[in-house]
Amino acid sequence: MKTAFLQSALLAVAVAACTSKPAEKPELAGTLETVDMGHHPPTVKLPDPEENQGHVGRKPRRITVAQLRESILTTTGRQWSQINALAASLGQPDYALTVSESTEANLVFAKFVEDGAREVCLAVASADLARPNAADRVLFPDVTVANRDFTTMTDDAIKANLSYLSVRFWGQPFAPAERDAWTATFKTVAARAKTINRPEQAWGAMCVAFMTDPRFITY
Amino acid sequence: MSKNSANPALNRRTFMKAASAFAGSTMFGGVSFKAFAQQAQALAPADHCFVFAYFSGGWDQLLNLDPRDPTEFTPERISETRILPGYSLLSQDPSYPTMPIQPPGSNIAFGPAVGNFANHFDVMSVVRGINMNTVAHEVGFRYFLTGKEPNGSAARNSSTATEVVGQMYPKMANKPPVPNLAFNIESYNDRYGGYANALRVSSANDLLLTLSPSPTAIDSEIEKQLLDMRGQPVTCEAQLYDSRGLVTQYQDARKQVRTVLDATLDRYFRFDSTTGDSMAVAMEKSATVARYKLRVGNNGLPNDPRNSSAARAALVATALKKGVSQCVSMNIAGGLDTHFGTQLTQANNQRAGWNALADLISDLKESDHPSGGKFIDHTTIVVFSEFSRTPLINAAGGRDHHITNSCAVIGKGVKHNHVFGASGNVGMASGVVNHDTGLPDPKGYQYLPDHVIATVMAGAGLDYSIMRVEPLKGLLAG
Repeated sequence: MKTAFLQSALLAVAVAACTSKPAEKPELAGTLETVDMGHHPPTVKLPDPEENQGHVGRKPRRITVAQLRESILTTTGRQWSQINALAASLGQPDYALTVSESTEANLVFAKFVEDGAREVCLAVASADLARPNAADRVLFPDVTVANRDFTTMTDDAIKANLSYLSVRFWGQPFAPAERDAWTATFKTVAARAKTINRPEQAWGAMCVAFMTDPRFITY
Repeated sequence: MSKNSANPALNRRTFMKAASAFAGSTMFGGVSFKAFAQQAQALAPADHCFVFAYFSGGWDQLLNLDPRDPTEFTPERISETRILPGYSLLSQDPSYPTMPIQPPGSNIAFGPAVGNFANHFDVMSVVRGINMNTVAHEVGFRYFLTGKEPNGSAARNSSTATEVVGQMYPKMANKPPVPNLAFNIESYNDRYGGYANALRVSSANDLLLTLSPSPTAIDSEIEKQLLDMRGQPVTCEAQLYDSRGLVTQYQDARKQVRTVLDATLDRYFRFDSTTGDSMAVAMEKSATVARYKLRVGNNGLPNDPRNSSAARAALVATALKKGVSQCVSMNIAGGLDTHFGTQLTQANNQRAGWNALADLISDLKESDHPSGGKFIDHTTIVVFSEFSRTPLINAAGGRDHHITNSCAVIGKGVKHNHVFGASGNVGMASGVVNHDTGLPDPKGYQYLPDHVIATVMAGAGLDYSIMRVEPLKGLLAG
């Protein structure tokens, strides 16, 4: 009798367990469930910089000439006309006389990257000014100003475009404080560009600043 | 084991470690690395400069560094000596002497094609009887450029200029913007960082491109704004990213670009234009134009200001004196592969190069070096060709390739007014000498470009262990 009772009780519990709904968890916006990775090896945390002579992660590297070529084309849609002619001076090996790529961020590299940035950026800025459809523009796709006068842009519009460009050129957004500094610079640059009637130099100059920044030429 | 280890070379890895450690240490206060770098940015000439001057095509050493007395080596004795100086064949041009030149006081006899170069016997050594082990052009010049016999025709290890810059540059307080400049000549780097790579230019225009403002101008006010923005303090995140110094290196290079552009160094290299020059610069350039006899406007002087031996020598002098470069390699004269034709062609092509070199040496002798003394006291010049030409004239009136060679080493680090070694008096065979004295010795040894380059490096206090030979003591100064 006792055995029959226990069997009935266990059956009742089992049926109840199969038919009951799981308890619902409260929904939290933006939270992620932890995924059990099973056999994934344990990850190693990056060392504390203070315990690693101030370093964290691997050493940054200067981009190669091939990477520079692709980066310029990808970010601006235009190629620097002299990049092949100056490739050897920028560090590209010819595998005849020089067998390893020089990725030294030296004077010659800095000089020629500046030359290239100016050529490409001012050309892109001029082309953008001629594009009636804002979405087709490279340097200021969401900016609409009258009479090519960028001094009329609001701070928010400038910041939004600078953030867009920082992601476009560096793959990372601005820190707010740095963006504010660049915004102030842009306003001065835009005013000067208006004064000298060279509107392409407003965003063109900022493009040069992005392209010659260490974040563009290192990874 | 390094040679000259009393003055050990600071390698790049050590330098970068030190630089990054310094940068890291300054993150928490102390002297700013940038401020330190700025202090060291003023352009000043290197304390020890080098010039590698290459005569392309294989020179006739009877006409320059290893002459013979034509009254002794006569056509009648050819079967015995296998040497024919052929100086009488230059008689169409009376400016060529028909006997070897030996200026008063000189211990060195020169051939008739060296022109004014002979006047500088007091600052040079001539090495004769070098065994080149090759009569192939590309093998010979690569051998002399590196001091190591090529693998097949492929250069082995770095050029000597690269080796010099590779060892010296990290230790220099005032780093030249283009430490290693190769003018129309090959350069190799197999073990040093990019800082030692040569800027290879085929003309003065290429160098001007580096030293001149960007061809695409930005309004000066806007440019100033960009510069100011770049000079703003970086974030902690950026400092951490730069803990190994790459960003700092790039930023310093950009400052150096500004220094170079602000110094408007390009104007010194525009020998054919004085537009926009101040009175002082115009006078300096005028002196250069006169010294190197550069044709500017209607001045009636003979040498092309952009592409001539003289223009190249002027460019070298300017690059060294203005602190642009430490090492300059150049192809100073060509057209020497004269299997056919007359001896006069060979002599004319050689003389253009020798006279340009003579002007360069005069310039260095007369120019004060900021560290004291004259520039020639701070400069080592190696003059070479890939091999020489046969001591006998062939059926086509020219001379073919000959394995025994000679070279000149001038200035700092070597003996002056001195001849090391000798080629044989029969067929100008390679010499066998005592390396300590440079005198012919049947129990001595032959000597190769390796020995010459090892001597040049030892004379500069550099580690010459990569040469795998000992320097020629009989050639070293002091």
